[in-house]
Amino acid sequence: MMPRSYYWLVIGLSIPAFLWLIPTLWMVSLSFQPNEILARTTSSTFFGLIPLPFTLDNYAALFSFGQTPYWFLNSLIVSLGMTLAVLFVSTTAGYALARLDFPFKRTITVICLLGLMVPEQAVFIPLYTMFADFGWHNSYHALILPRVAVPIGVFLMLQFFKAIPKDIEEAARIDGVGWLQIFWYVMLPLARPAMMTLAILTFLYAWNDYLWPLVSAQQREYFTITLGLASIQSNFAQSEGLGRVMASGVIASLPVVLLFLIFQRYVVQAMTAGGSKG
Amino acid sequence: MRGGGGKTLSQGQAAFLLLLPFLSAYALFLVYPFFKGVWISLHDWNLLAVAFNPDAKEYVGLRNYERVMWGREIEWSLMAAPFWQGLGLMGLVLSFAFYRMDRLSLFNAIALGLASALLVFLPGFHPGEGGRWYDRRFWPTVGNTLLFVGLAVPGVTITALILAAMLSGQTRAMSILRTLFFLSQVLSVTVVTLIWQIMFSPRQGLIANITGTFGGTPINWLTDQQFAMAAIVIATVWWSLGIAMILFLAGLQDISRDIYEAAALDNATGVKAFYYITLPNLKRTITLVVILQIILHFQVFGQSHLMTQGGPNDTTQVLVRYIYQTGFRDSELGRASAMAVFLFVIMGAFSAIQFIVGREKQ
Repeated sequence: MMPRSYYWLVIGLSIPAFLWLIPTLWMVSLSFQPNEILARTTSSTFFGLIPLPFTLDNYAALFSFGQTPYWFLNSLIVSLGMTLAVLFVSTTAGYALARLDFPFKRTITVICLLGLMVPEQAVFIPLYTMFADFGWHNSYHALILPRVAVPIGVFLMLQFFKAIPKDIEEAARIDGVGWLQIFWYVMLPLARPAMMTLAILTFLYAWNDYLWPLVSAQQREYFTITLGLASIQSNFAQSEGLGRVMASGVIASLPVVLLFLIFQRYVVQAMTAGGSKG
Repeated sequence: MRGGGGKTLSQGQAAFLLLLPFLSAYALFLVYPFFKGVWISLHDWNLLAVAFNPDAKEYVGLRNYERVMWGREIEWSLMAAPFWQGLGLMGLVLSFAFYRMDRLSLFNAIALGLASALLVFLPGFHPGEGGRWYDRRFWPTVGNTLLFVGLAVPGVTITALILAAMLSGQTRAMSILRTLFFLSQVLSVTVVTLIWQIMFSPRQGLIANITGTFGGTPINWLTDQQFAMAAIVIATVWWSLGIAMILFLAGLQDISRDIYEAAALDNATGVKAFYYITLPNLKRTITLVVILQIILHFQVFGQSHLMTQGGPNDTTQVLVRYIYQTGFRDSELGRASAMAVFLFVIMGAFSAIQFIVGREKQ
């Protein structure tokens, strides 16, 4: 039995929690209301928080014309591509730095650690000129590559691999298994939870990143959904209709919200790890 | 240490192979751009001119830094900004006094003293008779960024701390409530600004609609100089509460239940327990969360760029947005890079502090 004060606490906290949810609920609710009504008023039923009159037209319109589906697809490609690339370089480098012995190991580790101090905003101008010289802008790899160089993932994996007991490797070494095989067949399967955390951290970052896509993708065909949504929100009421813009917002949030609700534990871990390490 | 003979790789070779992908990306897309950024900041570098003719840049030394941060006839005096400088002097005295009274550790005293000294020193510069800043917008922009940080960081930290203390229970209901508060954190900045732009709209906004039914006059949140900064701070607190809350929850788990039970015998529960047990035990977590938030919010861009376009009258213009505009609207890459280096120095200092504080824990 919980003490009575506990129930009061839950009830008392439900109110701010609901208030906290209202802006999101409002976006969802507006996306289900007809544009003609929204042009007149956004508070038809209970301040517009209940989608009456109800319509699916906004979503239908979104998928029949307009660029939202392409932006969504771009975001998927970029986010998944970035996730795979980051997983690859982070597990390999993290394993080498954590478990192998080689010359200048300390120096290399420290040099990588220093990279954590460099924020994206401090390098986006030179990255822009560099990619412009290569003629890389408006492409998927231009959106993916800068993040692959950020060492957060390497340190996440390094910490994980360091915690694995030595004997596991040694047993394999005695059997004459090579280092790369140990990495692939022994270490990677063990590292699944850490890789999951890193994958989610990277996916969320890729999906939500705004500054670099804004600089790099100038052609609308290469917009990510985050960037595309920014480009249509400034004149939302006039051109597209409020309901449709809100529907785009809902579509843009759907993957990350689902990811969060399904893998909540990993998402929380990922954001804590990403947050506390820059 | 050489493993296996024959065809298998030695340890060094394997390490080299495994490190190669990351190190090449790191060198190419982070180390090189970083130094190139410093290099660009030493040049008069027009984005368009250099794009057409790579030789159209001119080495100007530190001129860009001067043009951004300095001015003509700049003087220093103790009375330029009496409030901030007074606050700094007070901080200096207090940090010394508290150190002598053993209320502060040497490390904290030095940190507080240093911050106070900067507060006395930096606002003291001002253009003298007939002088002016070369770039009138830069320091006000830095000021706006600091104001944003100064409002958003306490806002997030205090709200998150109180919520975490109340939501730390290991029950189903608490876990659902935590989820609700955390949810907005996973949204992208453009979704957040989309939602809040319309929330704040005086004609269509939910806030105006609700205050309207009680007879209030709608506020032009995003275009009123008095409210614009408050509006982007509110949106930011709503958006980024989650991480802080989660970090606090993790910190709370490390506090032993016995302490609370012992305190309960002395009638210290609820608010009292929070003040006398939770707060002192969470000191280090709070420090880490605050530094983390400072780093995070100093980089604010999207909220200002999308909700207020830096306005009205530049009141919400922030540093990253100014860098972006100087670089990509005015094509002045040299000056923009000088500002980016300035940003890096500040953020780097806070990252170093974060690293030191984080190390202390282990």
